[in-house]
Amino acid sequence: MFRRTPLAVLTALLPFVVACGGSETRQAPPPAASTAPATTAAAPAGGTGSIAGKVSFTGTVPPAEKVKTSADPKCAAMHKEGLEKQAIAVKDGGLAHAFVYLKSGVTGTYPPPATAAVLDQQGCTYHPHVIGVQVNQDITIRNSDDTLHNIHPRPTVNTEFNIGQARKGMEATRKFDKEEVMIPVGCDVHPWMRSYISVLSHPFFAVTNEDGTYEIKNVPPGEYEVEVFHEKLKTQTGKATVKAGEPAKVDLTFAG
Amino acid sequence: MPAPTAHGSPVADAAARGGVFLFDAWRHRFAQLLAACTLALIFIGGLVTSTESGLAVPDWPLSYGMLMPPMVGGVFYEHGHRMAASFVGFLTLVLAFWTWRREKRTGVRRLGWAALGAVILQGLLGGLTVILLLPTAVSVTHACLAQTFFLMTIAMAYATSREWLGAPGATDDAAGVRVAAIAATAVIYLQLLLGALMRHLDAGLAIPDFPLAFGGLVPPLGDPRVAVHFVHRLGALAVVVAVGRALYCAHRGGDVRFIRPARFLALLVLVQIALGASVIWTGKAVYPTTAHVATGAAVLGTAFFLSLRAHRHLRAHPAASGLPLPVGS
Repeated sequence: MFRRTPLAVLTALLPFVVACGGSETRQAPPPAASTAPATTAAAPAGGTGSIAGKVSFTGTVPPAEKVKTSADPKCAAMHKEGLEKQAIAVKDGGLAHAFVYLKSGVTGTYPPPATAAVLDQQGCTYHPHVIGVQVNQDITIRNSDDTLHNIHPRPTVNTEFNIGQARKGMEATRKFDKEEVMIPVGCDVHPWMRSYISVLSHPFFAVTNEDGTYEIKNVPPGEYEVEVFHEKLKTQTGKATVKAGEPAKVDLTFAG
Repeated sequence: MPAPTAHGSPVADAAARGGVFLFDAWRHRFAQLLAACTLALIFIGGLVTSTESGLAVPDWPLSYGMLMPPMVGGVFYEHGHRMAASFVGFLTLVLAFWTWRREKRTGVRRLGWAALGAVILQGLLGGLTVILLLPTAVSVTHACLAQTFFLMTIAMAYATSREWLGAPGATDDAAGVRVAAIAATAVIYLQLLLGALMRHLDAGLAIPDFPLAFGGLVPPLGDPRVAVHFVHRLGALAVVVAVGRALYCAHRGGDVRFIRPARFLALLVLVQIALGASVIWTGKAVYPTTAHVATGAAVLGTAFFLSLRAHRHLRAHPAASGLPLPVGS
């Protein structure tokens, strides 16, 4: 009886299989490369103006941080020459990966676009590094790596989630239902991975290019407060007066 | 008429002393193995938090839908912790059944089942921390139950020892070792609870310098994280006082069975303070921080063992208990 009893009890005590928040199983064809746009702004009716400019950094750029990828041999194999992390990326004085948006002055309602934004995990890094979406716009999270990742945004007003993608090609779709700027997204498996998602109720935002330039299109005429938010340097603001059919120029500078 | 004995009657004494015939060396060694593995598990669990890998595996009880995921990055720590925990759970299950089958003492059988219940609950709490994305209350409860379970394994190991089973009658605790040891254990447990709260509130570096606090003796306490951190430092002083008292009482009693563990306890406390300082000075580096967690468990375990041993071998001194002294004393 003693020999059989433990087996019976062990069977009864086996943990129930509850894969809450488990890996997504929907497979998508592997993409050739990440072509996810940094912004997916829809074209609102009547907005023919634009705001363009350059976000600059005049301080001393800190040295790039070398990242140890040895904890995952597949990541290490994809970066044989090493991987560096540089939060303050500057080219020709321009600051890349800064999120520029209209902080105030926007009127009207703007339904989210039907097209999903895409956040891709490729080479054990996120692409793009910064994205903007509208409230309730779909975000397709894709794993293009032959290793596992978890995607863990840490919002303050939206609902936090944490999902696993164990295999290449896996995709998941999520959305945020509240405005929030620069939600950090990380991978707890690969701690160097970091991206940022900004959620707005309107489509008037952009992410600066490598040289710090940006353009927000289809802006209706009006007076606006323009804010740029950088993950390390935080914020700078400016003012824009937009006239129909004319571009307004707003340059913003971080002194560093 | 036989003289009154430590356990109230010659029959009870004989039963207690007769336990030496019930000594099961293999079960005792197994219980010791479980205690040692539990301490190792506390270290492994500490590594999960120290490396911020608590959510590296988003699902539970499977890991990325698998029994054995690729052990890369944070998954190595988190899933490794789950594997070690499963092993300790298995050892506990075996010990609980073994005790149920072979142990004559009802209390020890119940302790075996209680330990099994605790380790199952601990596993469920671990799952909840993952599913609920590390809420502080659940994480702190998970940490504290780990320490409590560790004490249960120590109790199981000691209760099955030759020393416990063959113990002669208790002697008077004129030096107050029992109370001092129990008090030290209680203070240390509270300090561990504070440490867990501080850790899971991410307040480990809320005061960035040591031994001073923001350059002074008392830091500004407006930030709750600073307050929790500072109370943990004050708790360390309380532990020093409590352990110092236990050491003093042990020396006063002159019994080497208490002096040795009390000295070891005092040494561990000094090591623990040094590790606490290194946590600050290294900016919460992984291994000093995790060693601080595990040494905290070792401090608690040693104090608890001292308490158990004092409970087994000593009885309250009549003068201390307020009872009338025997004639001629």
